[in-house]
Amino acid sequence: MATPHDTLEAVGAGLDALDAPVQARRAPAWQRFLKTGVPPIVAFVLLIGVWQGLWASALLPEFQLPSPLSVWDELVASVSSGEAFSILWTSLHRAVFGFIAAVLIATPLGLLVAKVRVVRAAIGSLLTGLQSLPSVAWVPAAILWFGVTPATIYFVVLMGSVPSIANGLVAGIDQIPPLLPRVGRALGAGRLASARHILLPAALPGYLAGLKQGWAFSWRSLMAAEIIATSPQLGVGLGQYLHNGSSLNDINMVIAAIFLILLVGIGIELLLFRPLERAVLKARGLTGAL
Amino acid sequence: MTATLETSVARSTVDTAVTLSGVSKVFGHGASAVAALDGVDLRVAPGEFVCLLGASGCGKSTLLNIVAGLDHATAGALELNTSRPAVMFQEPALMPWLTAARNVELALRFAGVGRASRRTQARELLELVRLGDVADKRPHELSGGMRQRVALARALASTLASGDEPGLLLMDEPFAALDAITRDVLQAELLRVWETTNTAIIFVTHDVREAVRLGQRVVLLSSRPGRVVREWSLDGTSSDDVVQDINTHLRKVISGHAS
Repeated sequence: MATPHDTLEAVGAGLDALDAPVQARRAPAWQRFLKTGVPPIVAFVLLIGVWQGLWASALLPEFQLPSPLSVWDELVASVSSGEAFSILWTSLHRAVFGFIAAVLIATPLGLLVAKVRVVRAAIGSLLTGLQSLPSVAWVPAAILWFGVTPATIYFVVLMGSVPSIANGLVAGIDQIPPLLPRVGRALGAGRLASARHILLPAALPGYLAGLKQGWAFSWRSLMAAEIIATSPQLGVGLGQYLHNGSSLNDINMVIAAIFLILLVGIGIELLLFRPLERAVLKARGLTGAL
Repeated sequence: MTATLETSVARSTVDTAVTLSGVSKVFGHGASAVAALDGVDLRVAPGEFVCLLGASGCGKSTLLNIVAGLDHATAGALELNTSRPAVMFQEPALMPWLTAARNVELALRFAGVGRASRRTQARELLELVRLGDVADKRPHELSGGMRQRVALARALASTLASGDEPGLLLMDEPFAALDAITRDVLQAELLRVWETTNTAIIFVTHDVREAVRLGQRVVLLSSRPGRVVREWSLDGTSSDDVVQDINTHLRKVISGHAS
């Protein structure tokens, strides 16, 4: 028996089927590789080709522009002697520790700036200003305060990355639609529960962007600090390696160091931040840029 | 039999779910002060479906916010004999990073429900609004009507789980942003859910037909400041006549503002 009620139910079910957004099917792996994997490889090969061409034209002397092959030999030599790993480890563990400390400092700081009006008025613009101050500017002061010690290096890394992470979190919180915390209050969430279950997850995309930038800043701050503050007790990181290359007038070493610094930057972005960002944005249906 | 008796006794001792007496609300101070509500008296019985009707500026949303505890009245008294009122807005306002089920579970968590029973209760509520099989989808994967039904399930979770007293749903033009067919289906859905859950509902709308279709009682508010103009009880009256009558009064209220 089809009562009006039953028909309306059927209409409702039909509407659900018709109105629900259609999810695009994922392209097969080889197509995705063709779209996202091939262009950077082609660009890299072209770059090497141009470099080889410039070197072959002999416009610049060998000690200024080495051939790609001699840089490659330098890289292979330092990898096979194990030197490359110890250099990478020295720098990477400093950067990771510095970054973790920066996250631990910047997260409460960002929350305070975002949610407490007085704090924002007091240090909001200072935090933005610090972002535009190159962290290498802190190296001379840090050497005077802490000497050429790990403390100097960590200080410079923190000054470089804390403002970015805190500002990212502030931007993330500022962009939360006001209706969401209101819903939270209507559902009976207290301040803490609201921060934990609504504000922080809602601010996650902005926070993640801040973390990404914070990592980049802590990596370049670390390089700046390592290039300037060199001493035997600090060990050899990528920055010292670069500095040594420059002192020895060894262009192969200098370019190999730059290559390694880039490799770490790109590697962390591709292995850590890109997948994280993708997962966060995809869960929210923000797939426009992916 | 005993159970039926007990509930009916409980009913008779508490005969109002919501009582507003002389509620006024003024925004701002001094010369720039704006009176949004002026001496509103309203009683809602447990399980009653009341529609508040009015043009722009009648303070409908302010009134709901006061009942919900999101705002405070400048004068007058509010008495609630319900569990925590739940609010539904024009937008579903679901948390975009949570699945439909998790959105409902979040409301249960805020209402103090233990982890173990949150999952089953959320499933039951989603089944109630016929969304059992999309429980694991995220808001962006649902249609507008489905999202609003998740919001309804979430609101029910909030008010039904946060106390033993009967629930209270406050709805602020929840279907205004939907297309006509979806709105029609959701109105029927809401009536079905209301009959199943025995929750009192205060439903704000500017659509006379919607108010007459849904409400047991329609309350017409004037604009700037909001006052109760008239009430219609809708038991057994021909709805077309009432719609006509309400429309006449509504037009009168609105044209009173032409200067």
